Amino acid sequence: MADVLVVRNLDKRFGGLRAVADLSLSVEEGQTLALIGPNGAGKSTSFNLITGYFRPDSGSVLAFGRELVGLEPYDICAHGLARTFQVARPFGKMTVLENVMTGAFLRDKKVRAARERAREAIAFVGLSAKEETPARDLTTIDQRRLEMARALATEPRILLLDEVMAGLNHTEIDQAVALVGQLAKRGLTIVIVEHVMRAIMAVANRIVVLDHGQKIAEGLPQEVVANKEVIEAYLGTGAHA
Amino acid sequence: MLQTLAQAVVNGLLIGGIYALVSIGVTLIFGVVKIVNFAQGEFVMIGMYLSFFLATRAGIDPLVSLVIVMPVMFVVGMVFQHVLIRRVLSLGDMPQIFLTFALSVLLMNLALLLFTANYRTVQTPYTDASFHIGGVYISVAKLIAFILAMVFSGALTVFLRTTDIGKAMRAAAQNRDVAMLMGINTDLVFAVAVGLALALAGAAGALLMPFYPVYPTVGQVFVLMAFVAVVLGTLGNVTGALIAGLMMGIAESLGIQFVGADSGLIVVFMLLLLTLAFRPSGLFGGRAR
Amino acid sequence: MVKKAAPVIVLALIALILPVFLRTGFEIDIAVRVLLFAFIGVAWNLMGGYAKQLSLGHAAYFGLGAYTSTILLIKFGVSPWIGLIAGGIVAMLASLPIGWLCFRLRGPYFAIATIATAQVLMLLFLKFRDFAWGAEGTTIPFLGNAPLMMQFSGKAPYYYIALGLLAIGLVVTWAIERSWMGNYLVAVGEDEDAAEAVGVNAPRIKRDIYLISAFLTALAGTFYVQYIYFIDPNTAFSFNVSVEAALVSIVGGIGTLWGPVLGTILLEPTSALLQSLLGASHGGVQLTVYALILIAVILWRPTGLLGLITDAYRRIVRADG
Repeated sequence: MADVLVVRNLDKRFGGLRAVADLSLSVEEGQTLALIGPNGAGKSTSFNLITGYFRPDSGSVLAFGRELVGLEPYDICAHGLARTFQVARPFGKMTVLENVMTGAFLRDKKVRAARERAREAIAFVGLSAKEETPARDLTTIDQRRLEMARALATEPRILLLDEVMAGLNHTEIDQAVALVGQLAKRGLTIVIVEHVMRAIMAVANRIVVLDHGQKIAEGLPQEVVANKEVIEAYLGTGAHA
Repeated sequence: MLQTLAQAVVNGLLIGGIYALVSIGVTLIFGVVKIVNFAQGEFVMIGMYLSFFLATRAGIDPLVSLVIVMPVMFVVGMVFQHVLIRRVLSLGDMPQIFLTFALSVLLMNLALLLFTANYRTVQTPYTDASFHIGGVYISVAKLIAFILAMVFSGALTVFLRTTDIGKAMRAAAQNRDVAMLMGINTDLVFAVAVGLALALAGAAGALLMPFYPVYPTVGQVFVLMAFVAVVLGTLGNVTGALIAGLMMGIAESLGIQFVGADSGLIVVFMLLLLTLAFRPSGLFGGRAR
Repeated sequence: MVKKAAPVIVLALIALILPVFLRTGFEIDIAVRVLLFAFIGVAWNLMGGYAKQLSLGHAAYFGLGAYTSTILLIKFGVSPWIGLIAGGIVAMLASLPIGWLCFRLRGPYFAIATIATAQVLMLLFLKFRDFAWGAEGTTIPFLGNAPLMMQFSGKAPYYYIALGLLAIGLVVTWAIERSWMGNYLVAVGEDEDAAEAVGVNAPRIKRDIYLISAFLTALAGTFYVQYIYFIDPNTAFSFNVSVEAALVSIVGGIGTLWGPVLGTILLEPTSALLQSLLGASHGGVQLTVYALILIAVILWRPTGLLGLITDAYRRIVRADG
């Protein structure tokens, strides 16, 4: 299976802080890669670098062989890479349907076709009943669902999910995991940033662990969770109790 | 030739002090409350009328009137924030812009109705006084205005850095939510910020009276300079606004001297457009997106 | 579909036969102004209402349209009907560099930059004595009844032209609103970064809507010169025009099709009345009232008053069963 997303030597400084340090990773087509690490490890920054919101100081990001660094977010999306935001950003004034249609319009500017594709995505995340609800009136969880539907409507080949499970309860996590699993079954390549270990173990094929902007471990889920450095990164070494 | 240049620079620098004062007020409100006060110029105008009436009805010299004008404007600012600004804080860009904008139009036209469009001036013993240094004439009134403007600006900077409430303001400017979580009473902090900004505007007005006429739309010129200075000096940056304000004064003066008598404004506008084109985040850096 | 169209058809019919009922020149003048400023408001609304790009310098395009057609008319004898389109094109071309500059700023600073550009244009035209008559401006040659040169002896034709312009503006808005472009505009207006994340080319769509908005506004400028037979930089690039363009949309209903129309119907006659009652002796009354109305609307109903009417209408329709 080919590597569809290849990140090489990504580097980003904010003033004196090196948020992402020489990061390299790759994802095979159809795989789900989880990006984990303690807070401040650089996970969201990496997402922002990959999807064009920040420009890296150096390094490259290849998606299906195309260099993404230097492209605008909308071009990156057009190339097949979609992302969700950690804090959902719905278009409050618009209804759920209209929100998702914004994503659908990327591929087809005709209203009828876009509406159909939007409806499919909305059905997939389970928001069909609230199609006509203004996005600002949705619960936080539904806004997350909307976020995902909107991203899906752009027909991505690679999907980046930023902490979609944060703050969910047990049942909701199960539902979210099921959704991600279905996306993986459809052949979508997924990169997921997450803290909820249960979810990660359920969906990830491979895990990359970040700490202080650097990759400190990589491999199969079982390997990574047993890795000593990873444990230390999360729990701290004994001395700093 | 050099003499003309020096004179133009000096003149520009002196009036630049006033521009700086107004600019600091705008940038303070923007930095802390995140609102652009389109009416800042009108508060300068109010300060001027206040000072004018105190001078003509009560014989109080404009410089002395500072003692009255500044506290009054401070209170006005706090009321302004509490009654009007607070209501639109959560509404988004548009209502905020149009609120202060409408207020600006309202104040200008109320002044027009109440005071007519006539230019009013105040004569003081030092209005026409000037002295000579190395071939350059320096107007006493303008010099005093400049010095006091710098004093007030400096005092504000010290205040922001050293006092608790000043630090609270800077905290709220950086991150309102975190500031609230830390127990900072953002309402009070905002009110003080607006109060201070308006006090500075009022001060600018009183300082102007000895050598500048007051009329309903006088604030427009100053607020325009202030806006350009605020953009140039980077939004929210008080020191930046100060320096840029002084630069505005000099640029305008040079424009008037070397381009044409009515070209002061065009030079300033060109500066704004150039800044936008090449350094939209201002001279002192700032956020990119 | 018929139910939805009914109120529009009624309105259109009223608008078409209104001139018959207007007796005095004063009344027709108000009607013309209502139509014209509603049109300018509609043009502004595309940018300011849907995409939330708050321009307070739309007078720039009004003036460019006015001056283009006038220069073509007086210096080259070109009919204002052609001048109308020429002015629109000039405005569109101007909107490109202006947009490129101003879109670098967000929110209030965009507004300030637009004010600055309109002011710069006014200052430039005040100085351009050689090719645009400078500060005194000029009148256009009086040709009596010359429809081909957009001059008419009665006021009614002007009314219908203004009505036609408004109709064009409304149709354009309606078409955009229900297309992908309308969706993208609102998305950009709500959250530009999030829109870009789902593939919306925000810079391009802002540029495109600015082109359309500028073009339409310029048409109004040409019409206005023909209507008042006079032009000068202060009238053409008047800050009042910029303000009113935004004001009628905000008061009426920002980001809606009929908002600007409602806003103008409320504001224009009020201002004309105040003007005639208090007129020259109390300069500043009109704007004071406008400002108070604006403040009241912002504090009480920031999205504009159209919501009130549509709610009421819905209630009536529902009551009828």
